[in-house]
Amino acid sequence: MRIPNLMSRDISRRGFLKAGAAGAAFAATNAWSPARASDPQVLNYLSWPGNADPYLIADFEKDNNVKVQIKEYVGGDQMLAVINQSPPGSFDVVLADAEYMHLLHEADFIEELDPDDYPIKDFWPEFQKFPLHWFEDKLYGVMTDFGYLGLSYNTKEFTAADVKSYAAMWSEKAKGKVGFFDWYLPSIGSISLADGNRPPFDLSEESFDKVKERLFSLKPQASGFYTIADIFSSLTNGRAQLIPGIGEWITLGLRQSGVPVDTIIPEEGGLQWTESLSIVKGTPKNDLARKFIQYTTSPEGQVKMATKVDNKKSIPSVRGWELLNKTMPGEAEILRMQLDKPNVMDEYKAGKIAFRQLPSQQSIEDWNDVWSEFKTL
Amino acid sequence: MADAAKWQTQDAHHPLTRLWTARRTGGSPAAVPVILGAPVVFWQAVFFAAPLVFLVVITSWRVRSFKLEPAFVLDNWEKVLNSGPFQKALVYTLEVSALSAILTLAFALPAAYTIAFRLSPRLRELAIAVLVVPVFSSYLLRIYAWQIVLSPGGIINSLTRWLFDLELQLLGGQFSLQVGLLTLTLPVAVLILVLALSGVDRTLLEAAANLGCRRARVVWHVLLPSIRGAVLLAGSTAFLMSFGDYISPVFLTGSKPPTLSILIVDTVKSGSQWPRASAIGVSMLVILTLVLLTVGWLGRERRFRKGGK
Repeated sequence: MRIPNLMSRDISRRGFLKAGAAGAAFAATNAWSPARASDPQVLNYLSWPGNADPYLIADFEKDNNVKVQIKEYVGGDQMLAVINQSPPGSFDVVLADAEYMHLLHEADFIEELDPDDYPIKDFWPEFQKFPLHWFEDKLYGVMTDFGYLGLSYNTKEFTAADVKSYAAMWSEKAKGKVGFFDWYLPSIGSISLADGNRPPFDLSEESFDKVKERLFSLKPQASGFYTIADIFSSLTNGRAQLIPGIGEWITLGLRQSGVPVDTIIPEEGGLQWTESLSIVKGTPKNDLARKFIQYTTSPEGQVKMATKVDNKKSIPSVRGWELLNKTMPGEAEILRMQLDKPNVMDEYKAGKIAFRQLPSQQSIEDWNDVWSEFKTL
Repeated sequence: MADAAKWQTQDAHHPLTRLWTARRTGGSPAAVPVILGAPVVFWQAVFFAAPLVFLVVITSWRVRSFKLEPAFVLDNWEKVLNSGPFQKALVYTLEVSALSAILTLAFALPAAYTIAFRLSPRLRELAIAVLVVPVFSSYLLRIYAWQIVLSPGGIINSLTRWLFDLELQLLGGQFSLQVGLLTLTLPVAVLILVLALSGVDRTLLEAAANLGCRRARVVWHVLLPSIRGAVLLAGSTAFLMSFGDYISPVFLTGSKPPTLSILIVDTVKSGSQWPRASAIGVSMLVILTLVLLTVGWLGRERRFRKGGK
């Protein structure tokens, strides 16, 4: 057997080239850096993790000969903290959850948009004037995707009939099996729905106290408070068999990999999360930012948004639905976005869905404190 | 060259002269420790003292619309110290870490004793290597592995279901938490104790045995007192590691109930309350300092009495 000479010049040169290529690949990731923020060929994108995946943005980058640089945040509070602490011009586009839009608008962080620039007419009529994106009849964010939050359950232990009401969480069978997403907003929101409050985030002090009491009565049922990663593992290993305030964005992927889970919108109703794109005030790259929003809301961009392998979402554009049904009918069925069959718009049309919003009569801190207290009970 | 030659001859002649010459040729005797110590002091100042001061300063700042603003207010301390969740988390974290320290010692002492006294030199080296290796693997990964072992659909439960048709609630709760913390503390504690035990003068043990002591008495009256410092060090290290740990409580109990580290994350996560999180952090540091001082005092008192005898 011939032993290759590891020290030969050729191999070491190839090794050097390889290391150099790896270094270059590392430098070419889509991570945001202030040094490149002002480069005209760079779009600075403040967004939830995963939204600069090549699957979503490669076409845009190629067509416009630009690079999308993403600064990732986890949760609206962090998004606001980042945008508050960055000098103007750091970001060109921001993807935000609808409940934070009024804060972005009040703090004057986002530009007014011209509705005629964007294919909003292609959206479902219900979403053409999405209330949380318009202020004083002016548009500030273009909806890109949405999803529902209800009650997710283990289909081996519970049937759909068992969980048709949030009351299932208080049942004897669910003792020690109710997991919680460790975020006060959807979790307390679900309890508020269970308590019959519509809208669930606009509570008088009296109703808020009742929700608090109802929440605290769930303590013996709780199995734990989970981060997003831990929700996946606890649903998979059976530690949590019911989780309120999460949705198909978690259970669909799990189900496809063989975990017996599903999400139901209980009779008391469910919540809707909604994401939109806005142009950040002070950007010198207005045109590019507008093009990016146009691309994301185009039928092609929408289909990609809906079918990204690790995070499947519902999309508001009917033309996006049409393209999806034409090109990926299987996905359209799984995602419940078939035009001529029961689909995700049904729950919305039936009035079962309330928007996820920030508490209107109490402060965020009040709700947070209740959540902290619940956790330490 | 000439100097070196002179040194060598003198060195061979008398070791003390070498020291003497070195001092005389090396300039002021006070300069060396200053030169050698300066980088350490600089390091400590930049990476420990300055952040610590900043941490304390930040506790009096304010958060306005998710933005930190310098201020001088005591609201954060008031809010943190008076909050029920903080007080409960404090008591719980102290309980957890005290229990972890006790369990760590209970497991580590016999293990270290066996490794130091009962194993052949080759096996001892192997045992120490086995202890050191996990320290270099990811702690997070080891905790995720425990999740798989302990979960309702996990390895242990599959076995008990198959053998006895029994399902055990292992994950979530003190049991799984202590398993996780021991994963963190045990290798370190055993290493400390093995090193201490290896340094014990064996003639003392033999003398005690020759004078008619039983094994248990030798251990209790000769062995343990001579590694007292190491036992305190191992116990307090286990306590400190458990006290500040975030990973085991989050992934093995699902934050139920939260510890102080989890409370820090929660405080920052919603509302960006860095000042309050810093107040919790400073409280934790104060408690750690108190624990270290107590342990130091315990160790010192013994030495004093020994010297006085």
